[in-house]
Amino acid sequence: MNYSINEIKADLQYRFGDSADLTVRVFTLKSALKIQAAVITMEGLVDKEQLSQSVLNPLLTFDYGTRDAAAVSEVLFSSVMASSDVIKLNSADEIVTYITSGFAVLMADGAEELYAVGVQGYSFRGVSEPESEVVQRGSREGFTEPLRVNMSLIRRRMKTPDLKFEQMTVGSDSKTQLMLCYLQSQVSPDLLGKLKNRLNACDLETVLASGYLSDYLEDNGSGSLFSGVGISERPDTVCGKLTEGRIAVIVDGTPAVMIVPHLFVEEFQGVDDYSNRTYYAAFIRLMKYLSFFVSVFLPGLYVALAQFHPEYFPTWLLINTSESLAQTPFPVTIEVLAITVVYEIMKEAGLRIPKSLGHAVSIVGALVIGDSAVNAGIISASTLMVVATAAICGYVTSPLYPPIMMLRLMFIVVGGFTGLWGITLATAVVLIGMCAKTSLGVPYLSSLSPFSLRRMRDVFIRAGWKRLSKHTIRVQKFPETEVQDANRG
Amino acid sequence: MQTEVKFSSKRFLLSLLLCACSVILLQNNDLSSNASFTFNAVCIAAGLAVCFLFFLPSLALKKKTDSDVLSLARRYTPKLRIPLAVFYALYFVYTALYFLLPYIDMFHTKYFPEVTPCLITFIMLLGCAYAACKGVNVISRFGIFLFLFALLTNILMFGGSLSELDFSHYGFELQGDFNSFIQNTLYFVTPSFIAAIFACCSGVTKNFRFRQPVFTLIFTGLKYTAIVFFVWFALGDYAGRQTYPAFVLSRVAHFGPFAGIESFYLALATMSVFMIVALFLCCISRGACTDGDRKTVLIFTVIIFALYVTATYINSVKEILVNPVLLILLTFVAAVMLPAAYIFVGRKSNATGN
Amino acid sequence: MRRGISILLIIAVATVFSGCDNSRQIETASIIKNVSVDRRGSQVVYTFYRLSSGETPWGIDVPADSFEEACALARDMYIPNLSLAKLELLMLSEDVYEEVMQDDVDYISTQASFSPIAYVTLCDDTTIEKIKETNRTQRVIEEQLILLKKNNPSVNINYLSIFNNFARRGEDSFTVPFISSEKELKVSEIEINRCII
Repeated sequence: MNYSINEIKADLQYRFGDSADLTVRVFTLKSALKIQAAVITMEGLVDKEQLSQSVLNPLLTFDYGTRDAAAVSEVLFSSVMASSDVIKLNSADEIVTYITSGFAVLMADGAEELYAVGVQGYSFRGVSEPESEVVQRGSREGFTEPLRVNMSLIRRRMKTPDLKFEQMTVGSDSKTQLMLCYLQSQVSPDLLGKLKNRLNACDLETVLASGYLSDYLEDNGSGSLFSGVGISERPDTVCGKLTEGRIAVIVDGTPAVMIVPHLFVEEFQGVDDYSNRTYYAAFIRLMKYLSFFVSVFLPGLYVALAQFHPEYFPTWLLINTSESLAQTPFPVTIEVLAITVVYEIMKEAGLRIPKSLGHAVSIVGALVIGDSAVNAGIISASTLMVVATAAICGYVTSPLYPPIMMLRLMFIVVGGFTGLWGITLATAVVLIGMCAKTSLGVPYLSSLSPFSLRRMRDVFIRAGWKRLSKHTIRVQKFPETEVQDANRG
Repeated sequence: MQTEVKFSSKRFLLSLLLCACSVILLQNNDLSSNASFTFNAVCIAAGLAVCFLFFLPSLALKKKTDSDVLSLARRYTPKLRIPLAVFYALYFVYTALYFLLPYIDMFHTKYFPEVTPCLITFIMLLGCAYAACKGVNVISRFGIFLFLFALLTNILMFGGSLSELDFSHYGFELQGDFNSFIQNTLYFVTPSFIAAIFACCSGVTKNFRFRQPVFTLIFTGLKYTAIVFFVWFALGDYAGRQTYPAFVLSRVAHFGPFAGIESFYLALATMSVFMIVALFLCCISRGACTDGDRKTVLIFTVIIFALYVTATYINSVKEILVNPVLLILLTFVAAVMLPAAYIFVGRKSNATGN
Repeated sequence: MRRGISILLIIAVATVFSGCDNSRQIETASIIKNVSVDRRGSQVVYTFYRLSSGETPWGIDVPADSFEEACALARDMYIPNLSLAKLELLMLSEDVYEEVMQDDVDYISTQASFSPIAYVTLCDDTTIEKIKETNRTQRVIEEQLILLKKNNPSVNINYLSIFNNFARRGEDSFTVPFISSEKELKVSEIEINRCII
């Protein structure tokens, strides 16, 4: 098919509705036949200097002699373009995708080929340390928004041809690009196929962040409290996961990279664990597990004990707690619920307001809500301490904060209504739910249940590197995993 | 949910071990007071030997066909499938109530008298139904956590009672009569219900070894012996005066001024009964040909609840439901006769090339 | 949506029926630390002392013929949220024990609501009076009992806690310590024949 500049221009103007940032630069080439060429770009997405140096200058200075449109097009690709990133387009429909990604589309009037030249030059946030995953001893680099930059961050750490990037597009309107990233020799083809099917089945119109897609990657939909999709902003974390046969999904415009399959025990593993001494890493891991349990159960247990089984408190604590609670107007369940909710509101306010005002909120929170409320006898000091301890513990495993918060509220309500019995039963039900959960066919609680002693070397404690490096455990090798491992026996 | 994945037989038997161990937790002075500790230990050995005999047909079936009674019924005797499923459903409903009744009674009388028993049963059954909908595999995964919790509770219970042990007044002599032997042995045959669960669900497991059920019964015996030992030597006559001696043992256990281990005990009993009833509902659901089928599970949950309410108001119904002899007879049919029959049916079908 | 409604419904039903409104809240529960039994005129009086941080004990007198009756009366008329799970000491005056001990022992030994590691003691009248004056008395008594446990090899380590007083089968007597006010608190064991009580 021969493309006409006027037709393409009219089509684009129709599609973009005469959008101001669409630029179609038409010019006549130095040729005996006066052939016209066009460079189509989106303003603000291309580096103008690079565009003029690698596209416009060579294009306009080259002498095409008596070549016809087809030959000119051929020469453009083989001799004229100074850029290394030149892609031949399959159809005119692809123009929109490329120009909105910062490419310049080049065409000669009447030729059969269209070329996209990589001259991206939009402004973006530089590579910086991710705030949510700060480490003491490790790389300070974190993912940023542009897809290609994120790819380069991974490639720099994995200099093996085994590392594959596979491009896909999601979102019927946003046409968001994403990359599936995996190690060819480690990944299960079955797993990869499953993931691709799910992404292809995604019927979203707009995908603005990786979180939009996580529901589509979950085995049990969005009903579960826990997420079977891991999130990381650290390239070193992602590379570590890739070596275990996992797949990373990098979505253009989001620094948070999704990793699947994702297991419960991974929430307690941090980059620092692998840099620190083994005994210290093990200690920190155990602290993380303890914090998780304290954060989830402490307020619920406190309410259950205070409401139904006060005799379980040690005598001295019982006297102090009962006297403190006797001075407050509300029942202990309401009190704990209220403080938890107020704390969540304060947390949200602290996150959203400008940093300069953050201190003010902290002072108001600590002094007004905390100290003054206790002094005024609205809340008791013991209740405040319990809720505060649970809140602090919740941040030790910050990716688990949403389920922790929901479970905490649930256990407060259940503990207040039915005491320890209710908490026991609710724990059993939650555990059943967790045991039933899978992430792309891999049981979410793998290593713990189904139990695997060999895989426990990186769960509660972290074995030494000499032992860890002997044999990498790939995710498809976990017991009772539904996906087949075709790569290695 | 991974209902189609076959899972380790070892883990399945671990779940059955936990179910078997829960029997002793719900004991309400069912043992003869004339029997000494050593005598009871002999009764435990005898009772669990009978349990092993109950296990044999389904073990043979699993070994030969790698399948269970319900799957074989579908394969070889499609016409008998429905009567068989109905029998197993009734059996498991009966057994569920057999354990629910003493559990709720213990909870109500010992732990929290203000509570409404029917509501507690209702909430409990809802939880069990949810678990049953997830399938045997998921319940057995839950069993790993329960096993750890059981280990912790037992350590606390026994460790906290160590200071109360008194060997000077109660010796290790073999003391007891024939009636006591029959009564106590009959009680220790109760865990044979796990053989019926095995007969119904073993088809979904893999890597089965003959030694696994043997170890299950040995560990059950050890747990029973430990409880009887501590009740005998640490509580003495005090246990005889109280209902639910295992509960009293947990109440007595303390580390200095720190007591309250009965809450761990209650949590363990709750989770154990939760798992037992969920497994029963799973077996019923498997009998109805659909593993994890929600409708079947819900219907039988409602039936169990209705029977529980009936039993609380009509004493004769309760007496039938907690009759140990009837339980053992029904278990004999469910775990011995029917699997044994299918061994022959399978052999005959194989001989005729069917 | 349907799931959410069912969960809310269950929570609502649970709130109404589960006993939440009957719960013994920590701030309103009357947790009893010790009970003394003495005679006032012709009436046996059970005094329930509440757990408190103050030095002066806060007790309620309940005239009754037995501990069982006293507990029931206390719940109905005096202390609705009575809890005996933290009971540490049951002190019987020497002039009432023959009258009440048999029934009280039977009652305590069959109830799960008592702390099984509490002590039962006999006391002279002055000690009973002293415990009404200050909370310190109970601490002194408990210290004396612990010393008795440690120093007297003839006394089994758990002989004095209430459950074990009923533990021995085939024995006609068990030991209950006697607390005397002479030279502060003096402890001596007294054998009590089971046949008598």
